[in-house]
Amino acid sequence: MRGIFKNSTKTKIAVGAFGLAIGLPFAWLTIQSFAASWRFPALLPPAFNLRAWHYLFDSSSGISNALINSLFIALTVTFLAICFALPAARAIALHNFKGKNLFLFALLLPILSPSIATALGGHALFLRYNLTDSYAGVILAHLVPTVPYCVLTLTGGFSRFDVEFEAQARTLGASPFQVLRFVTLPAIAPSLLTSAVFAFLISWSQYLTTLLVGGGKIVTLPLVLVNFQRGGDEAVTSALTLIFLAPTVLFLAITAKYWRET
Amino acid sequence: MKSKLILTCAVFLGSIFSACQNSNTNAPKFAPEDLAKTDWQTIENKARGTNVAFAMWAGDEARNRFFQTEVAGKLKQIYNINLQIVPLGDTAEVISKLLNEKSAGRTGGGSIDMIWVNGENFRAAKQGNLLWGKFAENLPNNRYYDAEAGRRDFGTTIENLEAPWQRAQFVLAYDAARFSEPPKNIAALGEWIKAHPGRFAYIAPPDFTGSAFLRHALFHFGGGAEKFQTFDNELYKNASEKTFAFLNEIKPFLWRKGETYPSSPKELDRLFANGEVDFAYAYGANFASERIKRGEYSPTARTFVFDSGTIGNYNFLTVPFNASNPAGALVVINYLMSPEFQIAQSNALGSIYPHRLDALSETERKAVAELQRGAATLSAEELDSHSIPEADSEYLERLEKDWREKVLLGGQ
Repeated sequence: MRGIFKNSTKTKIAVGAFGLAIGLPFAWLTIQSFAASWRFPALLPPAFNLRAWHYLFDSSSGISNALINSLFIALTVTFLAICFALPAARAIALHNFKGKNLFLFALLLPILSPSIATALGGHALFLRYNLTDSYAGVILAHLVPTVPYCVLTLTGGFSRFDVEFEAQARTLGASPFQVLRFVTLPAIAPSLLTSAVFAFLISWSQYLTTLLVGGGKIVTLPLVLVNFQRGGDEAVTSALTLIFLAPTVLFLAITAKYWRET
Repeated sequence: MKSKLILTCAVFLGSIFSACQNSNTNAPKFAPEDLAKTDWQTIENKARGTNVAFAMWAGDEARNRFFQTEVAGKLKQIYNINLQIVPLGDTAEVISKLLNEKSAGRTGGGSIDMIWVNGENFRAAKQGNLLWGKFAENLPNNRYYDAEAGRRDFGTTIENLEAPWQRAQFVLAYDAARFSEPPKNIAALGEWIKAHPGRFAYIAPPDFTGSAFLRHALFHFGGGAEKFQTFDNELYKNASEKTFAFLNEIKPFLWRKGETYPSSPKELDRLFANGEVDFAYAYGANFASERIKRGEYSPTARTFVFDSGTIGNYNFLTVPFNASNPAGALVVINYLMSPEFQIAQSNALGSIYPHRLDALSETERKAVAELQRGAATLSAEELDSHSIPEADSEYLERLEKDWREKVLLGGQ
């Protein structure tokens, strides 16, 4: 694997360009978030201040609340999505049953159709069952686009999994829980990690569903971000964007590290 | 084992569902019919100790901070009311939410108790029967407002379905460091544009602020704003023909030769801030001062109004049909209409003071006279004497539609 990354000049240029493409927007956002003003033709802001960051961490701004809401919802959604996806993915990967393709199609329908359609239609349904304006409703709504992704990634993991290992462990006296803990989960760990990251990030970045089903009462980070983006406050928008991007960067780093180790 | 796992999941799910159901159960029931037979003191007593959810546009850090700290603190202190801000990027969001709730038959227990609204959103809410009822005249602090303020919102009759709150007036910004005398009527502005190619842009309709520029041109060619209060097809035809001829005449001299237009006030703002164009404009007499404070505009930016006046309008507060706590909402709305609040707001945000001065007490008048206005904000007298009314919304709709056909796509 490593061979192709040997230090030819071309590779260096490619890696440099890639780094720049990722790094520049971050640099720009960081500068913008501290800029007191930044007008053409100044190359750099003539003055800096902490206004935007102060506001973000000011308890009265409600932004820390939005952050906690986002985290709580995304973590719960991740956990539930995996709970739902594990058995489904296993069945799809390891068993053949009648109507399997239809089942797959139904499962993927929410991510195949435009998200605005599922969001608006879902809202009407949620209203009927009194699920709007609540965390429960928002979490359920986020599960709609997350579960299909989790099932897809986990199916990949299970298709490389040999059930005989489980049988072997059982013969050796392991309890069902021990089998799950020491045989099944480690075997599918990479796809489990991937699907968890997927689920978290999909939930983390939901805007329309949260807005509709949460009714403006459940305020998450994307909602606050869009408010400021529309309001035109560049500094606060940039600071919020940086926070919004933090988990993505973190996961990217963790995944990169994980793949390097394995 | 399996059943145990399922059970655990079910219990977990059940617990978050039940724990997360939000409630505002402490709010007493109150119907619009009760208003006439209830005195204000009783309503205030009903509102004490309740939560009020206020859906407001929340894209401005200074305003958010002011409401979440100062205003919420005051309401807690005076009425023991917990003010909850429901932040919106666009008021239309809450209108479509209410429409959905209406069609799903959710007539009570709504999550929003009051809304900051005006113009087309009010019209949509009124047409969709999304409003709680006729209440404005029953609020004690309604007396501070000019009777005219509560009559029409953009041509739509208000009928007490919303209460006047703040006043906004269209003003234009220019940079005094670049030139000292801005052109103060449409004809002079036209000459200026032709003499300075590429230095003027107007926001494309149907953006509301963008079409305001068109309405000023329409008034100019149609003989004054007063004529446009009710729709007259003949008048529209004459005036709009001249307006579109004028817009096509200046088109080659606009920013990017009129091939593209800024699509929002924010875009025009940025063009002006970066010195790409020489004028910006907005509803809100203090907008340039606020931009200077945020470091977006050059400190030498100033504002002006046309000699024949600029459009002034009000924005309003209203209660949605399914509000959980209408009594609390009325008390909060009434407080937000008070001189105490308005003076505090003008101090904090530089907004123009909306009340009739003759309705105020001696001390209140003095406090209003001492209000500091931003460097770029015109005096209240100058704004007042140059304020003209909005046109009937029919003109607005026709103008937006025809502009697309006759200027954006056609013309030259």
